[in-house]
Amino acid sequence: METDYEEDDDNVYINEELESGKEQVVVSHAPDQRIVPPLNFCPVERYLYRSGQPSPVNFPFLLNLNLRTIIWLANEEPQDTLLEFCDAHGIQLQFATINPDGGEDDNPWDGLTEHSIISALQTIVNIENYPLLVCCGMGRHRTGTVIGCLRRIMGWNLASVSEEYRRFTGSRGGRILVELLIEAFDTHLVKIDREKAPRWLLSAVK
Amino acid sequence: MVYIPPLNFAPVISTEVLLYRSGFPMPLNYPFIKDQLHLRTVIYVGDKEIADDYKEFLDEQNISYHYIHMNSCLDPEIHQQMDRVLRLVLDIENYPILIHSNKGKHRVGVVVGIIRKLLQGWSTTGIYQEYGIFSGGLKGAADLEFITMFNTELTVDKRKLPDFVRNFEST
Repeated sequence: METDYEEDDDNVYINEELESGKEQVVVSHAPDQRIVPPLNFCPVERYLYRSGQPSPVNFPFLLNLNLRTIIWLANEEPQDTLLEFCDAHGIQLQFATINPDGGEDDNPWDGLTEHSIISALQTIVNIENYPLLVCCGMGRHRTGTVIGCLRRIMGWNLASVSEEYRRFTGSRGGRILVELLIEAFDTHLVKIDREKAPRWLLSAVK
Repeated sequence: MVYIPPLNFAPVISTEVLLYRSGFPMPLNYPFIKDQLHLRTVIYVGDKEIADDYKEFLDEQNISYHYIHMNSCLDPEIHQQMDRVLRLVLDIENYPILIHSNKGKHRVGVVVGIIRKLLQGWSTTGIYQEYGIFSGGLKGAADLEFITMFNTELTVDKRKLPDFVRNFEST
């Protein structure tokens, strides 16, 4: 990114209008270099994003986000390419294992345990981990569970939390079990350090 | 305090600048908008006259309101309407911005799709997928074709460009 900016700066043609305090640009067509968002990508709050598992085609897109942390919600490791990408760019990859005792028998249908939800949320309520991406295989149910519980902490009403969750669940729709998990989640289990919390969170929990 | 965000609410851009999308805000959404979004600008792309209570709320909050009359992407004047939206989006001084239509599906979907393409350089499939997430899987073929074919030529102040804009050529 930085080199891109430098190149751009070198090439800026400063027209006469600059002297009168104006520098203008023309916005006309899409950039030649397109970037590809991961499946089910969406911003959640300032510098907080959600998506499905990023693959190499998404890496230029991810670089634009300047991520510091990726939370990966699964028992199994993500693809090697993602591990290498995180290594190469100093992104800390946090595993929030679904079922720590499940070992190899990870079942993608299993919901997240309370423990793993809390672990992911403790990372989310700490600004030191930002910019931050929360992801799972498809960016639907596990990611939806964690974001849903975050919305509960933020004081959203349940119907709106469910609406947001279902939006990302594709043609088969939402799972009742996930919605029950979100509804039953005890928001007091997440400890918010006001010194380290993102500003949008503080304004919601005040 | 229970907060109720407007229908189909989500951030579009959540960096130093904040750009949101949603359906038409109702009175029960006002506390959420007031306490959590701190908007400077609301852009309504739609066909309904603004309700008195809504106008009152926006005035109270000192939110500047832009009504861009739009039925769909098939409107004869659609190009000028879209340029008006883009000029507002390309000026850092208008942020935070909320763009809403009635349900936050199709008209907002087109506006966001064009921002994704023109200003951020998203791939076409990424744009289509996002359109689908908010339209409930409805295809909206005319909308998607419009997004894909849309080009424009806007001369704007470079110093006022928001941080997420990737695309520019100095004149």
